[in-house]
Amino acid sequence: MSETPAIPDRKWTALLPSWTGALAALVLLVVVTTAMNRTFISGENIFNILRQWSFVGIIALGMTFVIILGGIDLSVGSLVAFAGGVGVLMLNTVLEAPKLIAEYDAAVQAAATHLPCSGFRYALAKLFTSLGMAGSEGAAVALAFLLIVLVASLSGLLTGTLITKGRLAPFIATLGGLAAYRSLSLAIADGGEYRSASAGAFKAIGTGGIPIPGTNLAPNAAVPVPLLIPWPVLVFILLAVLAHILLTRTRFGRYVVAVGCNERAAVYSAVNVNRIKLLTYVLTGFLVGVAALLLSSRMNSVSSSGTGLFYELDVIAAVVIGGTSMSGGKGTVIGTVIGVLILGVVGNMLNMLQVSPYLQGLVKGLIIIAAVLVQRRPGKEE
Amino acid sequence: MSEPTPAVPVVEMKSITKVFPSVRALENVSIAFRAGEVHGLIGENGAGKSTLMRILCGVKVPTSGELLLRGEPIQLHGPADAERRGISMIHQELNVVGELSVAENILLGHEPTTGGLIRRSRMEAEARELLDGIGCTIDPWRLVKHLSIAEQQMVEIAKALSHKADVFIMDEPTAVLTQREVALLMKLIRDLRSRGAAIIYISHILPEVRDICDRVTVLRDGAVVHTFDSLAGVTEHDLANAMVGREMSEQFPPRPEVGQEAVFEATDITVPGKVEGVSFAVRKGEIFGFAGLIGAGRTELAEAIACLRHRTAGTVKVEGQEITARTAREAVRQGIAYLSEDRRGTGLVMGMNLIENTTLVSLRNYSRLLIRSGEEREATMGHIRALATKIGRLEEDVGTLSGGNQQKIALAKWLETKPKVLILDEPTRGIDVGAKAEIYRLIHELTAQGMICLVISSEMNELLGLCHRIAVMRDGHLRGVLDGTTATDREVMRVAAGVEGTGATL
Repeated sequence: MSETPAIPDRKWTALLPSWTGALAALVLLVVVTTAMNRTFISGENIFNILRQWSFVGIIALGMTFVIILGGIDLSVGSLVAFAGGVGVLMLNTVLEAPKLIAEYDAAVQAAATHLPCSGFRYALAKLFTSLGMAGSEGAAVALAFLLIVLVASLSGLLTGTLITKGRLAPFIATLGGLAAYRSLSLAIADGGEYRSASAGAFKAIGTGGIPIPGTNLAPNAAVPVPLLIPWPVLVFILLAVLAHILLTRTRFGRYVVAVGCNERAAVYSAVNVNRIKLLTYVLTGFLVGVAALLLSSRMNSVSSSGTGLFYELDVIAAVVIGGTSMSGGKGTVIGTVIGVLILGVVGNMLNMLQVSPYLQGLVKGLIIIAAVLVQRRPGKEE
Repeated sequence: MSEPTPAVPVVEMKSITKVFPSVRALENVSIAFRAGEVHGLIGENGAGKSTLMRILCGVKVPTSGELLLRGEPIQLHGPADAERRGISMIHQELNVVGELSVAENILLGHEPTTGGLIRRSRMEAEARELLDGIGCTIDPWRLVKHLSIAEQQMVEIAKALSHKADVFIMDEPTAVLTQREVALLMKLIRDLRSRGAAIIYISHILPEVRDICDRVTVLRDGAVVHTFDSLAGVTEHDLANAMVGREMSEQFPPRPEVGQEAVFEATDITVPGKVEGVSFAVRKGEIFGFAGLIGAGRTELAEAIACLRHRTAGTVKVEGQEITARTAREAVRQGIAYLSEDRRGTGLVMGMNLIENTTLVSLRNYSRLLIRSGEEREATMGHIRALATKIGRLEEDVGTLSGGNQQKIALAKWLETKPKVLILDEPTRGIDVGAKAEIYRLIHELTAQGMICLVISSEMNELLGLCHRIAVMRDGHLRGVLDGTTATDREVMRVAAGVEGTGATL
């Protein structure tokens, strides 16, 4: 019988996409929050929330693939600080090359016991000078951005290699990364922060945006201040669309789901499972790099101790709230985006209600648990 | 130990029927197990032995029927309940905790304690006593993971005795033992019998059954077909005959003509510990079967050919061309497809839909940058029509289909790759008669079209009805190749079980 008979007695809810529940929760949250405080729905507030959460959101896109694959990546938060820190350090090395060289030479000549910077940075400063990059704002920013993404992607490659070739459990491999990258970041900055020496080019992308014509946030000012769609938000939206297509419409996405559903069956279906795993962690590393780039640009600095702290928790929470199964094989990018938005709205609502920041973690925790409990029901009957 | 009354069996299973959603696994089975007897239970794979024993040790509940323990009707609530009542199963995969000591394993769950603390001295004494009882001298404080498989089995038996078990179910207990260890186990079984225990002995190895058992019950298709009340004068051949002696119930199309030239040659395939230097050649138009007991190395051989398992030696030639593949992906590209025996574990991806499963291996043909879902859908629909697969929607989880329809999707997945060689491992396991016949017809069609089909099966009549020649494997070796048109079940069984006088030649 080749025609399609009516679907046998199955609940209509089974036909809804898995993120329906999360979307309903988001809509409800938005309505309730707006009812409590009208300023919530203002463009300025909305874009503020979106920008604030776009960094976590971008990483969560990668984490969606990792979790569907049946893995986990705990190292993302520390990696933001490490990759961002390395980037800012290089930025400053280029911008301040003449000063660095001069100070270093002076110190060496005076036989000082304490040198102003490491020999490695001094050598780099010399290199950049000889390349004619020294002091160039454009070259410095380009190098910094490139490096941030490169460092993070290579870290993803390392994680993936440890998991595939080293046969480490993803939890263990990335727990190591969580500790190691934070420690490296702290060590290089000596516990302080990496503040960019850029005059403004570095922070342009993190703080700027596309103005919406006809809007004015300062009606009394002489020059109108238009509402901006922040760049990080635009990047997040673009990447989310690409990630959705990657997951649902490409071979790679299909294989990720297959490996997450049943790794052995994937092996028997001649899927190169190790390559898929490796690529997934590299993808996540790359996205961590993009997030680190935008975040360090937004702050114009990276705090070695604070930047990206506990991001892994927010990221995993967003993915789980979005209906992706921690046991792998099932999940959507759309769900993850909704999960990020739910976390953002809840945080904003709690602030508006002036709930103590100490208690906000409790609320977040309850939401994660509730989300998983609610989503357990559909599709699991039999 | 209470005096066994010969009139009342220790355990009696009365009119047991067990229906699973798709199959009737047991049909009105009645067996009585007496004290002081070793009762053999034999039958082909899927005959219902395991289901019957799972019911007896409380893992499964029968759909209908009665269980009597010493004449009293009982209902078992889980394996722990069965154990408390003295019914103990010695599992094929041993159920011991490697990181614990022998004594801790034996007394697991009922350790002697004082005020909540375990008393190690009493524990040792109790364990020692139980071990002595079965003539075993292992140090009670050794970690179980350091013991040999046979010793671990002893620990399991001692553990069963600690529960005061008097019914022992042994499922293929000798499968993992060496010759010497088998002898020890046989002695132990005789000891237990002389102490009045009832032992239920499941095995494919007929000479053993013949030697150790007092009575033998034969199961086939979920029903008791014969009971040997005494084994005096009964030969292994009689047992084999009773096991497989059914009439050919399925319809097999006439076998296609066979040419002269060899189109598939495997030479000296070796997978250490699994497959030892297996060589065979398949002629044009020939359906080539593999028989053997579980663990004979047939699946491993197939996996080695498909590059799913590393082989240390051996070459494969298809139509004179050597297959140089080293990875599964390359093997597929060079025209080798392996339909695995375990649909749920390795054959299909449960949780993915019909389209995704059908194109999983051949997805490259439907995508450059993006997957062309229209084409993919159409191709899947084509296979579903060609194989007469009964489905609801293409987007439904493959796990919702019946076994036969799942198997057709698994077949479609491999036909998608347009293979030159199709290895079918237990292609009709757990599927209904109608789907079976369709799969047989398909194998004929594919062979007629020039595809080389290798069929691994544990169903004797399937091999005899389908194949031109049947290679029989045992212990990783190819023990003989029989002519499928003239061979009998008994001949195949004899070679597979290693009964003397194989008489077959390559």
